[in-house]
Amino acid sequence: MSDGIRISFSDVAKRYDLRVVFKSVSGEAVPGEVLVITGPNGSGKSTLLAILCGLLRSTRGEVSHLRGNVEIERQLWRRHLGVVAPAMAVYEELDAGENLRFFARVRGMGLADARCRECLEMVGLDPGRRTPVRGFSTGMAQRLKIAQALLHDPEVLFLDEPGSNLDPSGRDWLEDHVRGLAAEGKTVVLATNDEREMEWGRRHVALAG
Amino acid sequence: MLRLLAEALAVAAKDLRAELRTRVAMNSLGLFALTVLAAVSYTVGPYRITAEDRPFLLAVLLWIVIFFAALAGLDRSFVKEEESHTAPLLRLAASPSAVWLGKLLFNLLLIYLLMAILVPLFCVLMGYKILMVWHFVLILALGGYALAVITTIVAAIIARALTRGALFSVLSLPLLLPLLIFLIQGTAGVAEGSAEVVSSTVRAVLSMGGIMTVVSAALFPVVWSD
Repeated sequence: MSDGIRISFSDVAKRYDLRVVFKSVSGEAVPGEVLVITGPNGSGKSTLLAILCGLLRSTRGEVSHLRGNVEIERQLWRRHLGVVAPAMAVYEELDAGENLRFFARVRGMGLADARCRECLEMVGLDPGRRTPVRGFSTGMAQRLKIAQALLHDPEVLFLDEPGSNLDPSGRDWLEDHVRGLAAEGKTVVLATNDEREMEWGRRHVALAG
Repeated sequence: MLRLLAEALAVAAKDLRAELRTRVAMNSLGLFALTVLAAVSYTVGPYRITAEDRPFLLAVLLWIVIFFAALAGLDRSFVKEEESHTAPLLRLAASPSAVWLGKLLFNLLLIYLLMAILVPLFCVLMGYKILMVWHFVLILALGGYALAVITTIVAAIIARALTRGALFSVLSLPLLLPLLIFLIQGTAGVAEGSAEVVSSTVRAVLSMGGIMTVVSAALFPVVWSD
């Protein structure tokens, strides 16, 4: 647990010109636990997630990605995280296997055929299916996005409404898997409004609308 | 270095695979180029320009067709990533240098493909005789590279802007105009067999391509990440 990655954020604020998304949000995500970010639509859950994973700069405040007490270098940080979010799409011209093999190659994993098949089977997709993602249902596309996030076995997982579009069995699998990852010592940050998903973690950050 | 190259090739291969399935950029480039070429060959043809003016005026027409076809298609590489919301995952998964190099390789492939089809057609339809063929190939290769480098970095800059089309032209043209002038002079030189003009053109285009490569490689991580 002590070797895992901790994300600490304090007094984080975000505004776009005159529109304030949120003011002064603080919290901490620690290895072995799920940090749950809640709040009504438009309260900035996805924005906070994007700030915590380093895709967006905050207007104010401090975000630290720490292993022990040592800050992880910005260039190395992206290797440690997997992200599932509605605003992040996979390539719809490619099939599921091609998508995962592409992400494996740019992550320096080589072709990683066996790992790609394993991840597709894990999320319930057929590795032999050659249909481009544009022909997928929204639930299948969501499963592929989850497989992409898990492909490199990241230490930190950011999940934004991960159960959306999944069928009940998919949601059950996802809950078991995320709880299992947390039990292994991974750090999980979850943004959701789903009451069942809110119960995955004990630490909560509530954003006001 | 090998890892960077492998990642860049993965980006280029992904873009090529997606392009072969949608043909958006190829259609934009190809249709523009062939339409203009057909219009030019029909209205001007091989005989309406005097033999004296032929090397220079045909060089102007050739590079106008190549440049504007490139502007019509090469800005898609980054805009498509933003519009289809695939850019955030690419930012997280790949190093900025690999993305830049991969997109450059893909644009280079497109522009060379365009030239491979367009230039022989242009020469046949317009009766354009080149005295220094291998120097002509060298100028095309260097010009295509400089064009791809400039359009790749400008496409990255404008991809996140709202007024993309207008901004692409506004940012590209000041960078491309000197290149266009050099390439026209050089192409006229190879048609006339003027080794001196060709030599100075090769040096100028090589310098522009080199400078823009260094500037782009340094600038891209900031453009891509922020």
